[in-house]
Amino acid sequence: MEKITFKVQRYDPDKDKKPHIQVFTIPFKHGMTVLDGLINIKENVDNTLSFRSSCRMGICGSCGMLINNLPMLACHTPIEELKKDTITVKSLPNFPVVRDLVADLSLLFEKHKSIKPYIIAPDMAEIEKPTAEFLQAQMQLEEFVQFAYCVKCGLCMAACPTMATDRHFLGPQPLAQAYRYSADRRDGGAKERFHETDTPHGIWLCHLAGACSEACPKGVDPALAMQLLKRAIISDSLRLRKKPIPPSVAPPQAEKKPRVAVPEFTIKRPNAKS
Amino acid sequence: MRENHLKILQYVTGIGLFFLVGGYHLLLMHFGKGDPESWSSVAQRAASAGWLTIYILILIFGIYHGLHGVRGLILEFSLPDRAVKVLNYSIVFVGIAVFGYAVYIPIHAF
Repeated sequence: MEKITFKVQRYDPDKDKKPHIQVFTIPFKHGMTVLDGLINIKENVDNTLSFRSSCRMGICGSCGMLINNLPMLACHTPIEELKKDTITVKSLPNFPVVRDLVADLSLLFEKHKSIKPYIIAPDMAEIEKPTAEFLQAQMQLEEFVQFAYCVKCGLCMAACPTMATDRHFLGPQPLAQAYRYSADRRDGGAKERFHETDTPHGIWLCHLAGACSEACPKGVDPALAMQLLKRAIISDSLRLRKKPIPPSVAPPQAEKKPRVAVPEFTIKRPNAKS
Repeated sequence: MRENHLKILQYVTGIGLFFLVGGYHLLLMHFGKGDPESWSSVAQRAASAGWLTIYILILIFGIYHGLHGVRGLILEFSLPDRAVKVLNYSIVFVGIAVFGYAVYIPIHAF
């Protein structure tokens, strides 16, 4: 195909009462992504079009949008893979629209912050004044590393049907990250996170629709993390959860021998500095 | 009671209902003798402490499981915290009232 049609959601809160669709037709090149198309529109057709993008390689999570009714990263979506002549692009659902394709993700970040997404070590003195690194075996890392690949793009939150009905629901991303940190052997804050997620609008509103895992561009599988979190909470409640082993600390560095002085040259060069 | 305690009870009552109702059905309809719906059969079961216990357990499990499910449905509608509290108390009140009304008949028949 030589041309591709974009139906893009437009919304200027200063002028429009509600979002509407504007149609653009641009030249198509093999290998073009949806983001390439939007940049082409902005540079050559309508420079008022607003959207977020940054790395253009699927690692920052900025360009999350609703593309042909599915939440996707625009930079990670080749137009040819959509197999359509018309691409419909809207802002992520379940989030308020700031302008055009820019969604207000502050709710995502607030909910993420509420589950304490950082290592809460049992020994806070070691955290504040570290003397050595915490050791972690490969097997221990593999228990949670999949969930650590989250780039906070918000696609899972946009895809979640429970998020669509209950705006107080924590959502797949915070709940998956709650499990990620609770499962980390270096962490001692699992009970605090269980308290935050074991609420009427918390983990129990997840009904395993699985849309979050389908939408995730990084293979995080938030649905799996949430089911594991449910299991961890129930195990903890029934006193079946194994007592977490404190993280081991790297052994202190061996004492270094004093440096041996460089021997003096036995042959003096004529212009050598003394 | 924390949410996970309520959820554990939901799982327990669900499994309990599966065995109680399923077992009751199998026992009466497929492995029992005579006509289980005849007056004499019903009267015999009403006078039995074992059957009374099963009826009351089915009643308790069914009321809890059903009302907890309804609570879950209503909670998905972005209720503020105060409304959640009112919902919780209402559910408990309805559950106790329904149980009290429904348990009267088998106990009276016993």
